[in-house]
This record gives sequence, C-alpha cells and structure tokens, in this order.
Amino acid sequence: MIQKKRLKDLTLLEKLYIPEIVKGMSLTFQNMFRPAFTMEYPEVKFVPPASYRGRPVLALEENGEERCVACGLCARICPALAIEVQAAETDREKERYPEKFEINMLRCIFCGFCEDVCPEEAILMSKDYELAFSNREDAIFGKDKLLTPVSKLKDRIEFLRLYK
Amino acid sequence: MPKIIIDGKEIEFQHGQTIIQAAKDNGIDIPHFCWHPSLSVSGNCRVCLVEVEKMPKLVIACATIAADGMVVHTQSEKTLSARNAVMEFILINHPLDCPICDEAGECKLQDYTYQHSVGESRFTETKQQKDKRVELGPHVMFDGDRCISCSRCIRFCDEIAGENQLTFIKRGDRVTIVTFPGKQLDNPYSLNVTDICPVGALTNRDFRFKSRVWEMSSTKTICPGCARGCNIEMWVRSNEILRLTPRQNDNVNSYWMCDTGRLETFKFVNDESRVNGSHIRREGKLTKVGWDEVFAASVSELKSFNKDEVAFIGSAYSTVEDNFLLTKFAKSVFGSKHLDFPRQIISGSGDDILIREDKRPNSLGSELVGVKPSSNGLDFDQIMEAIDEGKIKALYVVEEDLIKLNPELENIIAKLDLLIVHASNFNNMTKFANIVFPASTYAEKNGTWVNFEGRVQRIRPAVSTFDIDRSLDGMSMSRLDKFGTEYDRWGKVKKTEARSTWRILSGLANAFGTKYKYSMAEDVFTDLAKSIDSFKDLDYDVIGELGAQLKIKTHTAKV
Amino acid sequence: MGILEIIIITFVKILIIVTMMLLSVSYLVYFERKISAWTQNRVGPNRVGYAGLLQPFADVFKLLLKEDIVPDAANKPIHTLAPIMALVIAFGTYAVIPIGPAVELFGYNIQLVVADVNIGILYVLALTSIGVYAITFSGWSSGSKYSLLGGVRSSAQMISYEISMGFSVAGVLLFSESLRPLDIVASQSGWMWNAIVQPIGFITFVVSAFAETNRLPFDLPEAEPELVGGYHTEYSSMKFAAFFLAEYANMIIASALIVTLYLGGWQVPYIEMAGLSAGLTALIQVGAFFVKMGALLFFFIWVRWSLPRFRYDQLMSLGWKVMFPLSLVNLIWVAVLVMLFN
Repeated sequence: MIQKKRLKDLTLLEKLYIPEIVKGMSLTFQNMFRPAFTMEYPEVKFVPPASYRGRPVLALEENGEERCVACGLCARICPALAIEVQAAETDREKERYPEKFEINMLRCIFCGFCEDVCPEEAILMSKDYELAFSNREDAIFGKDKLLTPVSKLKDRIEFLRLYK
Repeated sequence: MPKIIIDGKEIEFQHGQTIIQAAKDNGIDIPHFCWHPSLSVSGNCRVCLVEVEKMPKLVIACATIAADGMVVHTQSEKTLSARNAVMEFILINHPLDCPICDEAGECKLQDYTYQHSVGESRFTETKQQKDKRVELGPHVMFDGDRCISCSRCIRFCDEIAGENQLTFIKRGDRVTIVTFPGKQLDNPYSLNVTDICPVGALTNRDFRFKSRVWEMSSTKTICPGCARGCNIEMWVRSNEILRLTPRQNDNVNSYWMCDTGRLETFKFVNDESRVNGSHIRREGKLTKVGWDEVFAASVSELKSFNKDEVAFIGSAYSTVEDNFLLTKFAKSVFGSKHLDFPRQIISGSGDDILIREDKRPNSLGSELVGVKPSSNGLDFDQIMEAIDEGKIKALYVVEEDLIKLNPELENIIAKLDLLIVHASNFNNMTKFANIVFPASTYAEKNGTWVNFEGRVQRIRPAVSTFDIDRSLDGMSMSRLDKFGTEYDRWGKVKKTEARSTWRILSGLANAFGTKYKYSMAEDVFTDLAKSIDSFKDLDYDVIGELGAQLKIKTHTAKV
Repeated sequence: MGILEIIIITFVKILIIVTMMLLSVSYLVYFERKISAWTQNRVGPNRVGYAGLLQPFADVFKLLLKEDIVPDAANKPIHTLAPIMALVIAFGTYAVIPIGPAVELFGYNIQLVVADVNIGILYVLALTSIGVYAITFSGWSSGSKYSLLGGVRSSAQMISYEISMGFSVAGVLLFSESLRPLDIVASQSGWMWNAIVQPIGFITFVVSAFAETNRLPFDLPEAEPELVGGYHTEYSSMKFAAFFLAEYANMIIASALIVTLYLGGWQVPYIEMAGLSAGLTALIQVGAFFVKMGALLFFFIWVRWSLPRFRYDQLMSLGWKVMFPLSLVNLIWVAVLVMLFN
C-alpha cells in the first residue's frame, strides 16, 4: 500500500478528534434553536424571482395576436425534442403563424434554450412550476395552455432585456 | 493545358473557362449568388470578387476568363474586405425575416452572411419596401423585399424554359421582378426558379410553410412522372412526403425537373385512399385478411382456371425487379403465355427539355426483363379482346389502373371471373377486384428503373411501411426519426401495411410450391443480372446515385 | 403470594412493558425525525395530527398495508425468522431492567422489573449476542450481495465491540459484586454513580453501545450509500417494520442499560433526606429513571445527526486498538479502587 505523506502530522489531540466532535455537536445543538427555513407548500407558495425558469409559455399580445411566427428555432434547439411546431399562413403582416404549437412537458428539461434562441421574444420561461399529470396526453401542452398575456410576463421580459 | 494559380494552388483548366469554373472544378469555392453553372453569366451580385495579380482592381470571378499563368487570391485581405462590403450592400434592403422565411436553412444569403459578413450593419436608414406575396404564377410566390436581384430566375426562364416571362423593372434600390404584362410565370418548369433563387424571394406555393428544411429527411430517388427519370430528392417528415426537388445528374436532367413531376407524383403516397393490408372480396365487399390467407385464396382461385384462361398484366410503374419476378411467376410458375404491360403515351405532350411522351418511368426496363407475351401468347390489346370474347376468364394486374388509362375497358374488366390486382390506392380496378394485394409505392421500396435512354437508376424508400423499417433498413433519417418514440405525437407516424410487388409475388410463388429465396430487392437484381444480358455485370453499387448506362440500342421507337 | 398471583402480576408487567416499549419506539422514531429536522433548520413531520403527533401510526398503517415481498433467491423460512428474532430479542432483553424501587400496590410488594433474575446482566449480554444472529440470518437468507455484506459487517462489528462492552461491565460488576440489576442499582447509592467512579468505563460502554445498536457513527451494516440499506435491503412491509422497531427498541434498551449500570438506575441522590412519602418517592424515582433514559436517547439521536459514518477499517481499529485497551485500563483502575477502599 502506498502511504501518502501528510503535509503536517496530526497532534495527539487532533488524532483523538474529541475537540472536533464537541465542536460539531455544539453546532448541531445550536442549530436546533434556529428558525426553520421550510416553506409549507400547499398553504404557502414559493413565488420565484424573474430569473426562475418555470414552464415555457407563448406570449400573447394585448391585441390578441400571438408573437410566435413559427420559425421552429425553439423546436430545433430543444435538446429534449419537446417542442413541435406546425406553421401556416395568415393574412397578418407577419405572414406566418403557428397552426399547432405543442410542448411535451414530459420531455421538457427547463433549460430555457428555446427562450434564448427565440427571435421574437415569443417563448418565455414562466414562473409556473406546478406540473403534475396523470397521463401522457395531459402532459402535451397546446396553444390553449401555452398562450399567456404579455402583461403576466412583464418581469421576465424585463429580466431578459437586462441580462440576456 | 494552361495553368492558373488560385490561393497558391496550381490548377489546370480548359481554355475558355472562367476563374469561378476553374476553381469549382478543383474544389475551390468562390462565393456567388448570380452565377449558376448552367445559366449565362450576368455578373451583377459582385460577391465573387477576387484579387488577380497585375490587375489594377478586383475582378469578378464569374465573368473573367482564366488566362495561363494568372495568379488569383480568393482569401487575401483585399478580397475579404471587398466581399464583406458587398455582403453589407446586399443586406441593406434585405429584411432579415429569416424566422418567417421558408428558405431559412438552405439559403445562400444566410450561409454567406454567416461565413463572409461581419455580422453588423451600419445602415440606420429605413429599408426599401417592395411588394410582398405576389403570385407570379400558379405555383410560385414572390417576395420583393427578400429579392437580391441576382436575375437567376429571369435567365432560367429565358435560357432553359425558353419562355420570356420574367423581367426587372425600375432602377437602383427600387428594382424588382415582375412578369411581362399579360403573362404569368406558368411555364412547365416554373418551380425550378424556387430552387435556384439564392434567397427566399421565390417560394413553392405548394410547400409554403409546410415544414422547416431541417426537420425533414431527404432521400435520393427518381421521379416516376415520365420516361426521362429525373433524379430527385424526396423530402419526408413524420413519414409524409412534403416536397420533391431535382437532384443534379448531367446525364439525365441536369439541375432541373418539371412542375408536373414535382407536384403530381407524390400526393397519392400520403393519400387516405391507400390500400392497407390485403383484401378479399366476400359477399360483395372487400374484407381485410392476413397474408397467409390471401396467398392461399389466390392459389386456389388461380388453380381453378386453365393456364390459357389466365392473363398477366405488368406495369412500367413497377421496378425492374418487380417485373422480372412477374415474368418468372407468370411464365414458369403458373405457365401462362399471356403477359404484357400497358403503355401510356400521350403524343404532343413531350418537349425538347425534359418531358417525355411516355408517361411511365420504366417502360424499357419492363420490356428488357421480359414482360411480353411468349410466342403465340396474346399482347395487351389481344388480351382485352380475349376477355371480351370470354376466352380469358382471369386477370392478374400489377399496379396499373387500366380503367383510368382507357375508360372503355370498364365493360371488359366487368366480364372477368377473377381479377387479382396489386394496388397502392383503392381505384377503378379494386372496384372489380376479387383479391387486392397492397402494393408499396415507388417511395416505399428499393428497386431500379430504366429510363428511355437505357439508363438504369435506383429508387430508394423514403416512406416506411410495415414491410420496411426506417432505421433497420438504412433509410435516411431526420433528427426526429432518430430520437422519436411511440409516445411522441410526431413519433406516431402513419404506416401502410403494404409490400413491394416482388415480395408479394415471391410469397405467392412459395404458396404455389416454388421456393423463391429473395430477402431483399437487391437479391432479385443480382439474380436478373445473371440471367438477362442487358443487365450483365451490374449491381446496386455500380448503379450508385447517378445510375448506369445499359449497353443496348435504344431502339424503342415508341419514345 | 400464590403461583397464580405471581403469574398474573408478571403477565400484567409484561403487558405494560411491551405496550410501553411499542409506544416509546414509535415516538422515538417521531422524535428522531423531529430532532433531525431541527438540527437542519427544517420543520419535520407536521401533517398527521397536531404537530405530526399521529405520524408514527400513519407510518405503521402504511407499512402494514404494503406488499410483503420475498426475493426468489431468498431462503424463505430463515428470511421470515430473522425479523421475528430481532424483535423478540429486543423486547425480551427489557425483562430484566428495573425501572423503579419495589412498591406496595393493592397490598402486594411489587418489584418494578418483569423478572428479577440474579444473573440479569449476563442475560442481557447473552441476548444481545443472539441479536447478531437475527441480522446475520437476514443478510444471508436474502440472497442479495448487499444484504450479505451488511450481515457480515454487522457480526464482525458486534463481536469486536462486545469485548470492550464486556470488560466495561466487568468493572461495574467488581463494585456491585452481583449480576443482579437491582443490586447494581443499589450499589450506586448517593453520588456513587459508576459514571463518576469509572468514567473511562462509562465512555467505552457508551461507545460500544452505539456500535452494538448499529447507530451512527457506526451504522455500517446499513450504510445506505454503499449497501442500499444493508441486511434489510430485501425486506418490505411488516418484516421491515420489525427490523425497524427492533433497532429502536435496542436503542431504548441500551439507554436503559446505561442508566442501570452507570447512572444509578432509578435513584435520585439523597432523596431519602427530603422526607417524602414512600409512594411519592417511588414516583419521583421512576420519573428520574425515564428522564435519564430520555436524555440518553436524545444523546443517541443528537450524535447521529452530528457525526459522519466511520470507514470500516476505522471502526475496527477503534474497537480493537482503542476501546478494548481502554476498557482493560478501566478494569485495572476499578480493581485498584476496590483493593484500596474495600
């Protein structure tokens, strides 16, 4: 066996470990009287800061139009292949819109690449973290669940403009 | 041979070549928008500027004839800064709406901006706005904003399609493309302009916004539209064909294909009317049955007729392999003399460019492998007559809708006691059929076709069926195909339960007691290459991506 | 007293002790979770009942309702026997621990111990030694490498620490000159607690007790990161619960034993001088026993949530090279004391 040389040999007291044990135990003892950090979840809900990456949503402008132009970059960048976009033509000035936009929340890993790559600031990471499903179909979020008014996403947009 | 030095590399060139051609032949890429190998030189995009020693100014590589001893720099500081400047100029009025643009992903401007541009614009003024969404013709949509005025489309119409339909109007930064008054971009080759357009200004209205190019897989195959056999790429997403594009083959179709071939030849593959699984007519209705059952039923039905009462009809849509096995089956296994295939020749429909009058991709191949009557057997017309007279009571038809070819035949077909068909879609024939085999389409099988010039070319499967698996059978795969599971919506693809005709026929032959041991189309081809002289020494590797010329005289007068 | 009365009294004692043990084991688990939560600035169980007080019952119900899974490779009879053995031994040990002085109740003079055996300490040591078999059996019979390793570790560890434990107890016995727990308690009247007279023996005994009960920092038989739970990896439902209960019951016994051997048992120093009535004195003394025991149990839990686990070689070298010599030193020290003052 190779004996590794220590930088400094331990003294007898250090070898006994007793002071260290006492120190450790006093620390845990003191901790018992400190307040708990626990947030009791269903009653008290965590409101994440703007930097939080919750489930991705699509921005809906005040005039009722979605920002997304179905370019498909989010679907391309998505490392988990969670996003599926089908484009179609519209009469609006931006002639392309997503006929179908689906995120499979079972595949989503909340990396935020989709938000990063979006040229229209249309897909944004929300603060929603309450995601539980009882079957696979429920986990596929279509436009009905994804479209969120811009007013609800203001602080995320602000955060992105500052730090992205 | 004269020599030219490009970037320190000495290369030989043919007299009269331009710098860009000489460079291209030697694998040196000089960026270009307006230059196209098979179009005339217009020299208006200026992005191919290169530095030539002893010339006072930079010259455009596309319009400068190479001279012996010329020293060209494509990567010198001067060249790069000029290229940069040109890119900046071109991007001044370009809207940069790549997220919306269909060309994104296969856009020359996008690629060159990425490779040769500084990535920043100093242009702060308002961009020039032009007409958007202009329908230039029945198939092509034009977006004026995106156009960089390279004039490729104009030259294509003038020089290749031979119809002057497009032109520039206005000057300076307001220049735009329109059709001549009273004209439309409606020549039979109009969609090729969307392929050569270096930006997304000209787009295919049929494919518009259907899919991003990187979501699809592409498969090198052949167009079934006519006897030309244009080389194409078949683009598939979620097992659905979305578009066809031409593939360069200088021996067949150069860079082009016709609009009919591009738009009309793939939609039936995706169609709802596909025959899914074998069917037997019971109490007047076609009922889906299993393979063993349908083979057994076919054998007992066919055996109830005399050998002279049964005729076989092949198809020039089927592959060489399919027809070879049909010949073998009809003549050796079953022993009928009556075997032929119908022709569809529309006189006056051909032209000098690509389109042929023979609307079948494999007429020559079918003849070569022996889909013709034996001596004192009946040919197609005689078979029809014989049915009418009641001499032939049973008919076995492979992949042809005879009634669609000639509606008058309906009464004759109705007289048959037994009709067995291979059909990809339910059609006029399946209405009368007693047994329907589900046939794979040309997009779902391996095989070869022989075009009118005797060029044997490979078709490859792009759409998977129950019979052929995308990953196991080496079909081309997109990212979604590679990583999708059955639990993803896009992974749940529609698959038809269909088989290649040769596989159905060998199954039937086995049911007749003759053991065929072919496990893939290539086995059939190896076998036929041994027994048919025209195909001697050929195999799938020799045919490759661009096909191989058969050593025969193209005597077929029927075009 | 007739034989029938003795049987009835003993039966009642057993009933009381077993019920008490079961309850205190459940709540020991509860307090373990609470104390660990406090140490880590958490809340701990607080959903079932007020402040989570009904949590132990919820746990028991859950365990009862779980499927009992026996691996294919297991030796089924032994696999079933092991948890029963563990539980029976743990509860059986408690029979000889006195929790108070003799009291007069309903006209009977009742010793507050189930069985007043005159070789009580030997009985305890014997039973704890058999306890090793329960763990070894479970480890071997599960047919799993993790269980087997846990079982092997456990037996090696227990045998090693039993030696220093035995020598420490020998020190106590030198004073009491009896193996009867009641005599040992009696020998520690006033402040003559063994913990004070022979501190080294006390320390070695406590450390050995930690090792014998498989508690952290000596919980190598379970060592989740390496052994996925050790000897009880392949147990589920009530069989697992039996092991779980046995482990905590062992903790209670270890505390009770330490109290009896070193902390003067139920005795409160100089309480006779307070001049209280016999009944009240007895009550205070029983209370004192439980307070001492409670403090020790708290110490057990506190240590668990403060110290990291030993490496196996460290465990062995501590047992053989430190604890064993120390207990010998203690024995000599006590012998000298006895020679000088007796």
